[in-house]
Amino acid sequence: MELRKTTVHRVAEAVLQGEITAHQLIDITLKNCGVLNEGLNIFTAVAGVDASEQARAVDQKIKQGKKLPLAGIPVVVKDDLCYGVLPTSLGSSAFSEFISPVTAAAVERLMDAGAVVIGKTNLDDMGQGSTTLSSPRGATANPWQAERTAGSAGAAAVATGICMLAVESDSGGALRQGASHCGVAGLRPTTGRVSRYGLNAHCSSFARVGVTAFSCENISGVLDIISGFDERDAATAVCRDGIQENIKAPGSEDITIGYPVTVFDFLEPELREVFEQARDEFAGHGYKIKEIELGLLREGLQAYYVIALAEASSSHARFDGIRFGKTGAADNLHNMYFQSRAEILGQEARRRSIFGTFLLGKGNYGRYYRQASKIWQMVRREFEGALKDCDLLMLPTSKNLPRPLQGQSSFLDQWSDDLFCAPVSLSGLPALTIPAGQIEQHPVGMQLVGPPFSEKTLLNVGSASEHKN
Amino acid sequence: MDDRSAGLDKAIEAIKIGVSDPERNQLHIELDQFLDWLEPMLGVDTGDQEGLLFSHDAVNVLREDSPRQSDPAEIQEAAPSFAGGFYLVPKIME
Repeated sequence: MELRKTTVHRVAEAVLQGEITAHQLIDITLKNCGVLNEGLNIFTAVAGVDASEQARAVDQKIKQGKKLPLAGIPVVVKDDLCYGVLPTSLGSSAFSEFISPVTAAAVERLMDAGAVVIGKTNLDDMGQGSTTLSSPRGATANPWQAERTAGSAGAAAVATGICMLAVESDSGGALRQGASHCGVAGLRPTTGRVSRYGLNAHCSSFARVGVTAFSCENISGVLDIISGFDERDAATAVCRDGIQENIKAPGSEDITIGYPVTVFDFLEPELREVFEQARDEFAGHGYKIKEIELGLLREGLQAYYVIALAEASSSHARFDGIRFGKTGAADNLHNMYFQSRAEILGQEARRRSIFGTFLLGKGNYGRYYRQASKIWQMVRREFEGALKDCDLLMLPTSKNLPRPLQGQSSFLDQWSDDLFCAPVSLSGLPALTIPAGQIEQHPVGMQLVGPPFSEKTLLNVGSASEHKN
Repeated sequence: MDDRSAGLDKAIEAIKIGVSDPERNQLHIELDQFLDWLEPMLGVDTGDQEGLLFSHDAVNVLREDSPRQSDPAEIQEAAPSFAGGFYLVPKIME
């Protein structure tokens, strides 16, 4: 059974009907893992025995008559999301043996529905980045071109067929860029739709938990399962009385897609061509295309980094060797703090913490942070304004192909890769990355952005686009 | 030492992160690059725009205040170290 060529629904049905047991399916999946992962560096931990036990438990529940909608579906989990059996490294070598006492809400819900966690996936230093280049375990290679980064290891796992779903965090765009670079679909949901309980978020204002899968249909199959109120995450209070889905009629002729011409100021020519082709294909399928202005993309990216760094400096404060993390060897308390924090936080996390503290310092707060919070408001209103005239917006996901594994790129080059994702994060709106085309046989994705709780419309449009291509 | 450099050193001291001298020097260079990179954002006329502090509009999201049972054994199990009825932590008093 090749997981890339089927759907979550079909596989779960096969398990429920007894065509294959969950244990057999996971056994095959784990055997394939080693081969498919060769040279890619996808995993921080593979479940092994635990995955087999989970699968046996699923088979047992099926025997008891339970209709599990995700029976036996192999899932990977980004390593900043807690899973109470495998280590949760948070992207720091200091936590490589940390077993969390809790399991993230989204993972818990998938497991309750019959999914089986087969491993934890690689991530940047303390989850900060969209390349995995700053991972203490080394970067994850792209399954399409092994000399480039995958963007996210979960997307690489889905693209290779190691698993059917990846549960991942997305703050400035890691999930979306990974999906774009690996040629798969990735959904960042509306603020409050999916509980972040069990996520180690470095910037809580923008961190969300989403799903990556080989197709939009597969994401649709799990969206309802992971969505909804969770008293352990106050942001989900918007779903306390149920989710008011914002579903647009499925006919393409009823849907207007906003097309921001301002992106051309920043896109490399070859990516511009792919984006224009995607627009033409949507038009060819009957969607109305409306040119719009999004004039604050660059400034939105910069505002995102000011706020994200300020929040990181605060959220990293707990990693002091006493509350969290190994205690560094030192002769006095002062040195112990310095030593512990230097060991826990890698270079990227140290840079972000230090810059974030600087931005919040006297004189800098008003100049940088307050200005950034105003830009945040302006970007949000700009997106809301664009969606008054359109049902959805289309945006590139990345402004360039994935970065080479070897070679120099400055921290600002890497931060700038979030140009089209970070402003969407500011908006709080849901965004779906879908494959848009290829450059030299390398996949390139694009984002569909919609109003709050329009995920099902995004997935319908994305799915129709996949089938027509 | 200019304001930026002094501010950076103060930030490093404030958040207690050990950095080597070469890393500190590199951070000074990178901070200049970063702040220059932010210039376009600073140039935006935000007028009397109010800043945004939360990414959603939800208010009063506290859960109902109701008593619940907790399981001390579960908490003890999750603690890094527990002995004689106490949670053991690194010594911080000198």
